[in-house]
Amino acid sequence: MNSVGVINYGVAGNTHSIKKALEKAGAKVIIINKKEHFDLVDKIVIPGVGSFKDAMLELKNDDLLVPLKKAILLKPTLGICLGMQILATLGFEYGKHDGLNIIDGEVKPIQVNAKVPHVGFNVIEVTHSNKLLKGISSEEFYFMHSYELINYTNITSLTEYAGHKFVSSIQKNNIYGVQFHPEKSRDAGIKLFKNFLEL
Amino acid sequence: MNTRIIVKLDAKPPYIVKPVHFEGLRKMGVPQELGEKYYEQGADEIMYIDIVSSLYQRDIIFEEIEKVASKLFIPFGVGGGVKTIEDFSKLFHIGADKVIINTHAVQENPDIINQAAEIFGRQAVVVNIEAKDWGNWWECYTDCGRIRSGKSVLEWVKEVEERGAGEILLQSVDKDGRQRGFDLELSKKVVESVSIPVVIASGAGKLEDIKEVIEYAKPSGIAIASLLHYDKLTVKEIKDYLRNNGIEVSK
Repeated sequence: MNSVGVINYGVAGNTHSIKKALEKAGAKVIIINKKEHFDLVDKIVIPGVGSFKDAMLELKNDDLLVPLKKAILLKPTLGICLGMQILATLGFEYGKHDGLNIIDGEVKPIQVNAKVPHVGFNVIEVTHSNKLLKGISSEEFYFMHSYELINYTNITSLTEYAGHKFVSSIQKNNIYGVQFHPEKSRDAGIKLFKNFLEL
Repeated sequence: MNTRIIVKLDAKPPYIVKPVHFEGLRKMGVPQELGEKYYEQGADEIMYIDIVSSLYQRDIIFEEIEKVASKLFIPFGVGGGVKTIEDFSKLFHIGADKVIINTHAVQENPDIINQAAEIFGRQAVVVNIEAKDWGNWWECYTDCGRIRSGKSVLEWVKEVEERGAGEILLQSVDKDGRQRGFDLELSKKVVESVSIPVVIASGAGKLEDIKEVIEYAKPSGIAIASLLHYDKLTVKEIKDYLRNNGIEVSK
């Protein structure tokens, strides 16, 4: 049942870390390198290390963009950090770039008067609990980002950094996104992955 | 915001070592075991630096790094001997979350910072600074504190920020491994010079040293090595102490 496909795009992915953490949560992980691999999995994880521009470019170059958009609509999907951000309509990292346009929103530099990137463990404030955040209320997760998703309609949690609240997780139907890195967040992250497997 | 408590592993593969003033190496243990030990103790991150790779001009030893990464569910920064975009890419694929660069960027090709930031995102690019105190200025050293660059630390940190570095790891050639306190002035000046996070290393000898540099320089994180390697304290003890003294740290 629980086979999870982790998208491996271009040079930038941190597929190793995510695979390892998903396996710890009990998943069978398949790395998705080409479109045929989508048929082998029940769920999809879009990892995120890299820039918005490069992520979209690499998906296109690897011929994964169209099959990914199709698969996302059918299978429970979790976007992590940049993997969440590219679900949006537009991104403004190294120029203006189209995202996957699944979540209404734009990705812009985090608006805060403090050190950027925002790096470190920080708590999430759950605004709309869902199955992914089951049993998670004020756990600390690891953040490492310079950009934030501006969205108003799909928020499930917020996080505060230097007085500024930004979107730290979203949901739209079967599609979930987290700004933080569950794979780098100790037991809290493994718990979130277990919740994802139970979807 | 929580101040991050980071453990720094200086590697001379296959061992973790601890130099004093970046020299006189002592074996501290095996990378994988130490990584796991500090993860269990509650470290916020691990930074692994192969301190002889650039000096010996040999390739990065990926196997050791992959072994450490396989046991960690916290961020893992890796550096030492990084020269190409392919090095960055390989390190991310075997489990690094950030790549730490010094020698190659300072001495030969600063553009690699721009390239890496554009491909991997700024947050994944950490610039390591080995600062030498010359009384009225600080100079960037490389190759584990052995080779001069002629570059001023305070100018270089601004340049690397502009080029796209996401974070600075600030080490002091004079203070490293001595456990006699941090270079406070250097720390404060660097933190105030840039708008990216700065992690301060080199000098923690007792709890008060850590508290002092956090309060004085307000860095984003502290990197600790000797104090932990010699089992003088644990990460948990450090965090408990800081919390009890009004400094925010993660659980």
